[in-house]
Amino acid sequence: MARVIVVTSGKGGVGKTTTSASISSGLALRGFKTAVIDFDVGLRNLDLIMGCERRVVYDLINVVNGEANLNQALIKDKHCENLFILPASQTRDKDALSEEGVEKVLKELEHMGFDYVICDSPAGIEKGAVMALTFADEAIVVTNPEVSSVRDSDRILGILQSKSRRAIEGREPVKEHLMVTRYSPKRVEEGEMLSYKDVQELLRVPLIGVIPESDDVLQASNQGTPAIHLKDSDVATAYQDVVARFLDEDRPLRFVAYEKPGILKRLFGGK
Amino acid sequence: MAEASLQGKLIEFKGASLAVMTAHLRETEATRLADAMHMMLGGMPDFFAGEPAILDFAQLTSTPDRVDWTAIISLLRRYQVQPIGVRNLPDYLHDGARRANLAILGAESLSAERPVAPPPAAAPAPAPAPAPAPAPATVASPAVAANDSAAPQPGPQTLVVERPLRSGQQVYAKGGDLVLLGGMSPGSEVIADGCIHCYGPLRGRALAGARGDTSARIFSTHFGPELVSIAGVYRTFERGIPQSVAGRHAQVRLSGSDTQLTLEILPLQGD
Repeated sequence: MARVIVVTSGKGGVGKTTTSASISSGLALRGFKTAVIDFDVGLRNLDLIMGCERRVVYDLINVVNGEANLNQALIKDKHCENLFILPASQTRDKDALSEEGVEKVLKELEHMGFDYVICDSPAGIEKGAVMALTFADEAIVVTNPEVSSVRDSDRILGILQSKSRRAIEGREPVKEHLMVTRYSPKRVEEGEMLSYKDVQELLRVPLIGVIPESDDVLQASNQGTPAIHLKDSDVATAYQDVVARFLDEDRPLRFVAYEKPGILKRLFGGK
Repeated sequence: MAEASLQGKLIEFKGASLAVMTAHLRETEATRLADAMHMMLGGMPDFFAGEPAILDFAQLTSTPDRVDWTAIISLLRRYQVQPIGVRNLPDYLHDGARRANLAILGAESLSAERPVAPPPAAAPAPAPAPAPAPAPATVASPAVAANDSAAPQPGPQTLVVERPLRSGQQVYAKGGDLVLLGGMSPGSEVIADGCIHCYGPLRGRALAGARGDTSARIFSTHFGPELVSIAGVYRTFERGIPQSVAGRHAQVRLSGSDTQLTLEILPLQGD
């Protein structure tokens, strides 16, 4: 059974695509055959983050419309053996998606022996986002530690509970995971940001991880390398922890405590 | 093959009952109604979100010679109210209403409506553009309840909601009490004809006694709503929740001559 995981948030710019790229890479590195689908039709980004933008020939909409088959459209990742990317169409819009079409694609991926299908949702609560979550078995809700992001995540959780197939058919509800990204323990300490505990208290969803705010993420995006592959980066370690927790391994939370820089560090800088 | 069996019934007629809002018009002059609507809902043109409504003229203060139905309907549509019929309209005005495609309903057509209660008392707390407290029979119509609502169909008895209610969700406990086991988030709304019991954070809008039951109460283990209302008497918390009850076990009830909302701590044993 292929497990369908939607990465969603409601709000834009919180790190959905970064998270989709890293989690799908992480699962593939663990040996699972994984596909990651960009549902942001019209605002294609995942291919850039994965560094495969020059290899896009066919896309999700071509497959939905039967203009290409899945084998033609899936792009093999350059870092991981088991990872395949299904890009979004840049020239179409979300209306080109249909529930039947998406279901067909997911069924076919299952026949091809995929273990995990990661659906990278667009922002918003409109058609594209709903299509991305309709067939989800699990949801990773990405939230920044600020109130508007939390409110939007709450809204998308409500939509998961009402519009997902599992909800409509009265099956076991979609398993929800909360992920807090762009977390700055220093700014939390200074009271400028909600703490991850506040966020969790507001949303009441089990926490799967906290990703620290870091310049590494921007750098990784620019290089077209999912952040999880970075060497000596807190972000990469945090994403590896998330993947481990997703696979039911026990990992303590890291990068959430603020340590005041010592005098030497302040004098001589350094990371 | 399924098509053949469906050939015989491309259309089916079935009886159904519908919870519907009634709009009591005491005036038929569209400009004056427009002023009143603007006062009530100025900042919230989409407050009614396409809810159907029956226009009730039982409380007309004067009997007009003619009614400009086009003006009234377009005014209501501007606030996303969908007028579907009229009732208690003087006979000589029926023709005009029919020409405006409104159904003429007899008084018996609305079985559930109670005798008309006095108009809701003014809010004790000043609010610039307060949401109108639901007048008797102003109940959540299915059109709104269907808005991402994870709620089961309203039944006549106590309605229990086990999961947290998310922003944008709405639940209506028709004819009875509502029990929330997972609390409610900001931006969600619960309505009950009876009491509301919330085990968990009460953070959205809670309206008890929606059909005018002044003995209804709201109970919460973690008090922090955006708005509370009992039988149409409502209160917002623009300046924050009073310290004495914020985040604590608290109840809301009507006191005085049913015009004052009282917020008080619940003296729970073993606390």
